[in-house]
Amino acid sequence: MKNALLVALREVKEYLQDKADLAFSLILPIVTFALIYGAFGGSGLFHGTAYVVNEDTNGIYAQQLLNSIKKQDSLDLQLLKRADADNKLNRSDLTMVFLIPADFSDKLNLGQPAQLTIMQRGNGGQDGQIVASIVSGIVSEMNQQFTVAAQVSQALSGQNIPPAQIAMTTMQFLKRESTNPLVGIDEVSIGSKPNTVKEFLPGILTMYVLFSISLTAAAINDERKKGTLERLITTRLTIGQLFFGKFLAGVLRGFIQTLILMTLSWAVFRIFTPFSFVETLLIALLFATACSAIGLLITSIAHTGEASTWVGVFFTMTMTMLGGTFFTITKGTVLYQIGRISINGYANDAVKTLINGGSFSTLGVDIAVLAGVTVTAFIVARMLFKAVPQGK
Amino acid sequence: MAENFLAAQDLQKSFNGNKAVAGVSFTIGKGEIFGLLGPNGAGKTTTIRILSTVLDADAGDATIGGFSLRKNPAEVRSLIGVCPQDLALYEELSALDNLIFFGRMEGLDGKEARSQAMVNLALMELTERAKGKIAKFSGGMKRRINLAIALMGNPKLLFLDEPTVGIDPQSRNKIFETILNLRDKGLTVLYTTHYMEEADRICDRVAIMDGGKIVAMDTPLRLRSQIGDPDKVTLEDVFLKLTGRSLRD
Repeated sequence: MKNALLVALREVKEYLQDKADLAFSLILPIVTFALIYGAFGGSGLFHGTAYVVNEDTNGIYAQQLLNSIKKQDSLDLQLLKRADADNKLNRSDLTMVFLIPADFSDKLNLGQPAQLTIMQRGNGGQDGQIVASIVSGIVSEMNQQFTVAAQVSQALSGQNIPPAQIAMTTMQFLKRESTNPLVGIDEVSIGSKPNTVKEFLPGILTMYVLFSISLTAAAINDERKKGTLERLITTRLTIGQLFFGKFLAGVLRGFIQTLILMTLSWAVFRIFTPFSFVETLLIALLFATACSAIGLLITSIAHTGEASTWVGVFFTMTMTMLGGTFFTITKGTVLYQIGRISINGYANDAVKTLINGGSFSTLGVDIAVLAGVTVTAFIVARMLFKAVPQGK
Repeated sequence: MAENFLAAQDLQKSFNGNKAVAGVSFTIGKGEIFGLLGPNGAGKTTTIRILSTVLDADAGDATIGGFSLRKNPAEVRSLIGVCPQDLALYEELSALDNLIFFGRMEGLDGKEARSQAMVNLALMELTERAKGKIAKFSGGMKRRINLAIALMGNPKLLFLDEPTVGIDPQSRNKIFETILNLRDKGLTVLYTTHYMEEADRICDRVAIMDGGKIVAMDTPLRLRSQIGDPDKVTLEDVFLKLTGRSLRD
């Protein structure tokens, strides 16, 4: 046991000294985490930017339109010069720009129709279309105000009411309506709201543990390539100790990566309780042992670093796809049944159960499968390493 | 004649039907430097790999320090040190860490391993580079570290498989000095090399292998005498006479 620990510690030390390896295995989970956060971490509502060229710089209605855009929670306003806007549209840096023409306010003052121009590349893109819809809504509201004001003025004409008073009263009513509309929209969610973080984070977590398969698969072949395997065989270290040391090193590396990702997830998404965090770590540790044992199985069969890496990558990708890392597999479907051969499917299920508030005691099957894979793969790997010609 | 520390009896090993070692028998006395010479593919490295327990022989056996390779491989491992032909080092670790790690693998405790590592580094004149990463070392320095590691755990028998390949004369000389000093302290050495003048200089006896068999075995002086005036004939002349001039792959 002591020698196995020394082998594992030596490997971890070497791994910490190898900057490229370290960067790959530690920074990558952080980058993935940032991507998850970028994809799922916000409020989920649309947020875009309205790019506007305002040629009606002193116009009161142009200013009113800009103020209305600014008030939108879902929009940022960015003013551009015309030449700059044309240039960016031409280079496809922007796909949609709103142009307020110089005579916009003057025309409205005269009661004439005024045009807000949308300049766009193609259809303006999906985000552009949404921004256009929001701006169109603002313009419709302005239009409505003008129509109502004109109709009220017309209806009250000849009753000796000053036009200024008519306009002011009309505006007060419109303002009150806009803050307390008679018809509103209420959102009612049917069933529980989907939580994309809880849905996909388990898959990302287990995917990183799966990577330890390739690392462990390469570990003994790396020793073989360096010539240190032969040297180790001539020492008092037994093959069993060497195997167990490599196994421990694989577990440790997979576990360190998972710990980083889980800690970040907890800090940002608050998806764990202290208890479920520890329980999930235990599952991750068990899953890491299964992956490390499979890595050893691969290294026992594949006798070059390239072969073991490719087998490891193929295995990892297959398990990732079948295990529902990137998409949810509905229970009872054929794909779900096929996915049962994927060990990370069991790990995913267990982690999902825990982060959704399920009990550790219900994970008997998942734990039994992962533990069974660990023991079986380790024993078979050891036997194969001994039996296969040139195994040593 | 010193008592035999190693006695190999009819060792045989085949790979895919090709006999790499075809019945090799020899003995090495305690404190003797024994050279195993031969062209490429002669079976030298396979013989060393069998004797150092890396490979199992198809037939035959050997005793080292009285222990049988077949019956007591663990005891054999406790008596041997191996300096392989290819550098076998952890490049990302320091020289000291490499030596300590292999020392621990030889059964030394942490304190002993560190202390012996420092002694061996001093022996190789690499004390000042103890904490330097192996990846930054020159070829000669790596060769010296390769030998220093083989000495961890105070082996009684040292296998040196072409330990001076591709290094500068200074490093080579340092390795010779070390081997001769250790021999004087009672260490037994099995040495393979392609450099005949090396074997002539440091080996007490040599065996010349070809085609998996030993074709001659004696002291360098007696082997030279067999084909002419030993002051004029070199070991290389003997070697070429016995193994022929045809190129080997």
